[in-house]
Amino acid sequence: MSSEIATTDQGAALSGKYLTFFLGAEEYGIAILKVREIIGIVPVTPVPGTPTFMQGVINLRGKIIPVIDLRAKFGMPTQPASRETCIIVVRRLDLELGIVVDAVSEVRNVAAAETDAMLDLGGEISAEYFLGISKADGKVRLLLDIDRILSTEEVLELGKR
Amino acid sequence: MKNKAKPATLDLGEIAVQLMQAQPNETASLKELCAALGQCVEGEQGTDCSPSVKRLVTAAKAKLDSLLSGEAADAEQALAAAVRLTCLATSPEPEPQGGGAAELDWEAEAAPAAAIESLLPSLPPGKPTLLPADPDLDLIGEFMTEANEHVVNAEAALLTLEERPDDAAAVNTVFRAFHTVKGVSSMLGMTALAELAHHAESLLARIRDGEIRCTGVYANLCLRGIDLLKETLNAVSAQLHGQDAKLPAGYAELVRALQNPDSAGADAPATPAPILAVLPPAPVAPTPVAAASAPVAAAAPSAPAPQAAAAAAVAPSAPAPVAAPSAVRPAAAAEAEAPARAATPGDETSVRVRTDRLDRLIDMVGELVIAHSMLAADPRNDVSRDPELSRKVGHAGKIVRELQDMSMSLRMVPLRPTFQKLTRIVRDVAKKSDKLIQFVSTGDDTEIDRNMVDVIAEPLIHMVRNAADHGIESTAARIAAGKSPTGTVRLAAYHSGGSVVIDLSDDGGGLDKERILAKATQKGLIDPNKSLSESEIYQLIFLPGFSTTENVTDISGRGVGMDVVRRNIEQLKGRIEITSERGKGTVFSIRLPLTLAITDGMIVRVGSERYIIPTVNIAMNFRPEASQVSTVAGRGELILLRGELIPLFRLHQLFKVDGAATEPTRGLVVVLRDGAGACGLLVDELLGQQQVVAKSLGAGIGKVPAVSGGAILGDGRVGLILDPSSLVQLAKDSRTGRPQPEAASQTVSN
Repeated sequence: MSSEIATTDQGAALSGKYLTFFLGAEEYGIAILKVREIIGIVPVTPVPGTPTFMQGVINLRGKIIPVIDLRAKFGMPTQPASRETCIIVVRRLDLELGIVVDAVSEVRNVAAAETDAMLDLGGEISAEYFLGISKADGKVRLLLDIDRILSTEEVLELGKR
Repeated sequence: MKNKAKPATLDLGEIAVQLMQAQPNETASLKELCAALGQCVEGEQGTDCSPSVKRLVTAAKAKLDSLLSGEAADAEQALAAAVRLTCLATSPEPEPQGGGAAELDWEAEAAPAAAIESLLPSLPPGKPTLLPADPDLDLIGEFMTEANEHVVNAEAALLTLEERPDDAAAVNTVFRAFHTVKGVSSMLGMTALAELAHHAESLLARIRDGEIRCTGVYANLCLRGIDLLKETLNAVSAQLHGQDAKLPAGYAELVRALQNPDSAGADAPATPAPILAVLPPAPVAPTPVAAASAPVAAAAPSAPAPQAAAAAAVAPSAPAPVAAPSAVRPAAAAEAEAPARAATPGDETSVRVRTDRLDRLIDMVGELVIAHSMLAADPRNDVSRDPELSRKVGHAGKIVRELQDMSMSLRMVPLRPTFQKLTRIVRDVAKKSDKLIQFVSTGDDTEIDRNMVDVIAEPLIHMVRNAADHGIESTAARIAAGKSPTGTVRLAAYHSGGSVVIDLSDDGGGLDKERILAKATQKGLIDPNKSLSESEIYQLIFLPGFSTTENVTDISGRGVGMDVVRRNIEQLKGRIEITSERGKGTVFSIRLPLTLAITDGMIVRVGSERYIIPTVNIAMNFRPEASQVSTVAGRGELILLRGELIPLFRLHQLFKVDGAATEPTRGLVVVLRDGAGACGLLVDELLGQQQVVAKSLGAGIGKVPAVSGGAILGDGRVGLILDPSSLVQLAKDSRTGRPQPEAASQTVSN
């Protein structure tokens, strides 16, 4: 039998189900199999001496997990939490992290034919955080490479010390 | 955040999202989702979905059903499984025998593979791999534990089979091990394991059906199969931990041999030898082994009496010592074998539980305590308003507290195994250095936190070795000093005032104060003009690079041990004290907290933030007068406390907290004391003392300067636990003008 979750094939790598969410007016997607759960915003305890995108830690049913502010990570202006604000809990190996987003949208099926590779937009926008862009229905959705976001230098640095 | 499930047609993706947001206790919405799942596969909608999607959805629905009917043992897990299955079903091209199928049968422990077998006509072609490209870590983790247990059981069963080749129960145990491993590993895409288990299973099937007997070549093949299975599992777990693991050596050969066991007979004669060497010899001759180990064991419990002394006394005399070492080795092997034996059914006075599950249980009990205290603090719960409710809440509180005590005690294990290892060390040292030493231990049933056992074992080994090697004099010296020729090393553990105390005493020569002083002066470790108290002198032996013994032996004496000892004990938040009398002996007294998990903490407020300071580090706290505070060069601040000047650090500055009291006279100074000295920490106020369960801040955040971890506070929020010594370091760094810790740039020396 072939492997359980076929992501090895380079061409088909982008296609699959994505959980989409909003940061401001922009819509992003995370591969659904990376998502553990979605919780409403809870009080976050800030941790001193961590990068600004590291919003702090939360109590996830008795377990403490760090929470990243994706707005800060992308250099977008922060905004106060609203009723729509959610924390998407993702997991990669033994890293469990919350990601604060403005609002969760839907689960979409993304077909490979409707996607483009990430464009190099220059400036401070680092293309490495993205798998590609979905342009289905005439809307742009940025597909996040969550592994990359969790393993960018900062997080690795933090993990090492 | 609660999207109510809309009736009628939800597609799978929407259901998945709603499931993800649902809580196990939201029965109403779960019921709707369950119904929606049903609709997806039945009727019109159902016609256009593939059979595999149908199967996954049906499985997800079954999970939800079991949750709703209360049959599921772990509601949260059932929900998580349902979510995962639904997610898998939403994938555009669900794998025909995808992970979903593995989960379908995941809990059907008896014969998971049987149902799956039909789905698996043959094993995948190509090179076997340890792990699939995108492994499901949850499932694999569970599988690894299960597989390892099966291997242990199978090994024990195979040893039984050696004696009684026709023991059907044992054959079945081995068969089941391979069978389960095969079924689950192939589901998970771990083809290397699957292939090996598959061929071994085929062989076992023939044995089970009476076609062949489990003797000679076949028995060897089975044993090799188990050994290789073990190695492959180790390789998988190495790879899971990010190491680059390969298939174990001999994998291909063995798979070939298993495929064709009858022709394997030719090369069989060459192979049995190494296999037998791997086998613990215990089952072959259990009686003599037990007898040989008896004297060792007899010396351990509180029996300083004649026979122990006699056993020790006999040792150095004529032929006995030669025989002894060889007798000890099988005893050790027998001990190692014991757990495997104990795991056979019908012998279950205890249950093995995965530690992460245990930790999870303790976490959840902690959450329960918080949830209950919120309930109890609710204004509606007032004796005068509703005495009945108040009584019920109070009753629940009692139960919750008992549950909490009980859950904490689950982590505790006796010190016995640790002490038993030490028995062996004393023996070895005595033999090597040609001394007569008896080892006496008492209180080995004293319990200590499981996590501490490993940390304390190493220092104890060092110290016991030191006591036997340096503490106890040579036999001649003892006789000359008019002492009994047999030295005694005594280890005693007991509870005292909320801590565990381990006393290690010897009746040797005692510590030589003058020599310690001379050595320390010679090595430049102390100022020769400074006078030191007796206990201060003894503490010198914990300095790195200190060793007083003239001759460095291969056992001890290089001066690397004692500083490690102190570091480990301090790491456990423990203390070590030494008392010694010249010519009479030395006592090392180690005092440890009962558990590392609970920190006695003072909760302080700074602005809107709360921090927890371990109570052990707090010397005192007070509100300073303006006259007590003075600045140095406009930068550093000092506080005068009873004639002593101590540096003052402001927590709100260090942690950049807004809205805190900036005037020391309006705040509170907490005086922290540790080995390095004292310092004052300015906070806004004390909120009270509390025992908190210390937790890691999560792997993603790494080590944070000045913070040792976090704890869930009474209101369910996370409070950070401060680490006083690194806090002082941080404060000093910030004062010397180094940049404030922007973690990404800061390099912390520890």
